Amino acid sequence: MASEKKYYLTKEGLKELKKEHEVLKSLRVSKTKGEAPKIWESEDLNPEYLSFQEDLDFLETRLAELENILENFSLIKKPVKNNLNKVNLGAVIAVEVGGQKEEFTLVGTLEANPVLGKISDESPVGHALLGHKIGDEVTVSSPIKTTYKIKKIKYN
Amino acid sequence: MKEVVNFFHEIGKLKRKPRRGWVINDIKNPESIAEHTFRAAVMAWVLGKRKKLDIEKVLKIALIHDICEVYAGDTTPYDSILPRTKKKRAELLKTWPRFSNSERKRLAQEKHKREKKALEKLLSKLPHDIKKEIKNLWLDYERGLTAEGRFFRQMDRLEDFLQSMEYWQKYKKPPQGPWWLWAREHFYDPLLLEIIGEMDRKFHKDKKPRV
Repeated sequence: MASEKKYYLTKEGLKELKKEHEVLKSLRVSKTKGEAPKIWESEDLNPEYLSFQEDLDFLETRLAELENILENFSLIKKPVKNNLNKVNLGAVIAVEVGGQKEEFTLVGTLEANPVLGKISDESPVGHALLGHKIGDEVTVSSPIKTTYKIKKIKYN
Repeated sequence: MKEVVNFFHEIGKLKRKPRRGWVINDIKNPESIAEHTFRAAVMAWVLGKRKKLDIEKVLKIALIHDICEVYAGDTTPYDSILPRTKKKRAELLKTWPRFSNSERKRLAQEKHKREKKALEKLLSKLPHDIKKEIKNLWLDYERGLTAEGRFFRQMDRLEDFLQSMEYWQKYKKPPQGPWWLWAREHFYDPLLLEIIGEMDRKFHKDKKPRV
């Protein structure tokens, strides 16, 4: 597996990964003992975990990936009071772009999922928004100019 | 072997299924899903090698990432809001569709559910080991479970973007504004951003798109 740099994670993202790690570890133990994992009975689980149950290689690959992430992560913290009005990692930003309203959450590359409004701080837009305040207009060009007007910034 | 041959026959249908994004933009003789897969796989190989990824895995993900579309069909972010008249549709396609967070989540979940069901139908009669492997590679792509899955998710979109520039150069459509807007929010891999810069120089050397 190729190593990646430090993973910046939101509190929610870290919680989900830790939960997945626990579930998959317990699954590995059950598989080794040849027992049905107790965890399936008690928890509201992602049905896709079942795929890991069927395929030990897939389970081991994902566990190695999760362990790598959990050894190399940095938790995105809420900024100090004076910086709450500025865009930083973890910010939920309401913008106006091309006459349309949009809301982004600025996350690290691991959690980036633009389809769900989570954009990476390393994307051109994410990077351009960093450090800006409410009322700022951020223009990203090349080749078509687009302006993002920052309407609101909040941190969960 | 009968079921394996049936599977090959079914996925062969992707050679004739046009990609919906180009159909709604009225592109003449649009590429098929299989044509997109071919180039996305080659691009992923060439660029994945530079990133020292597991190329066998990247290529397998590339080859199977759209096979569920045999039954699920191809979709675009515009589908749920596409107007019936050509004029209104052309206007809409000049913008990038924006949805609320709850709508985005619902649309993504529906798509995932539909495609998963289609994949299960497609793989149902295959031997267990290959069925399991394909299903897990698809999950990796869908959920970005490994560096290879996350990389190919971006690669898949990069091939789309390249195709959109090629069509724009030839037909002056699809409108490039929404593509650039989307690309600058979507891509984050430095290597892919470098490639996009190069694509911009190649296709917009003489004429820059305005919309």
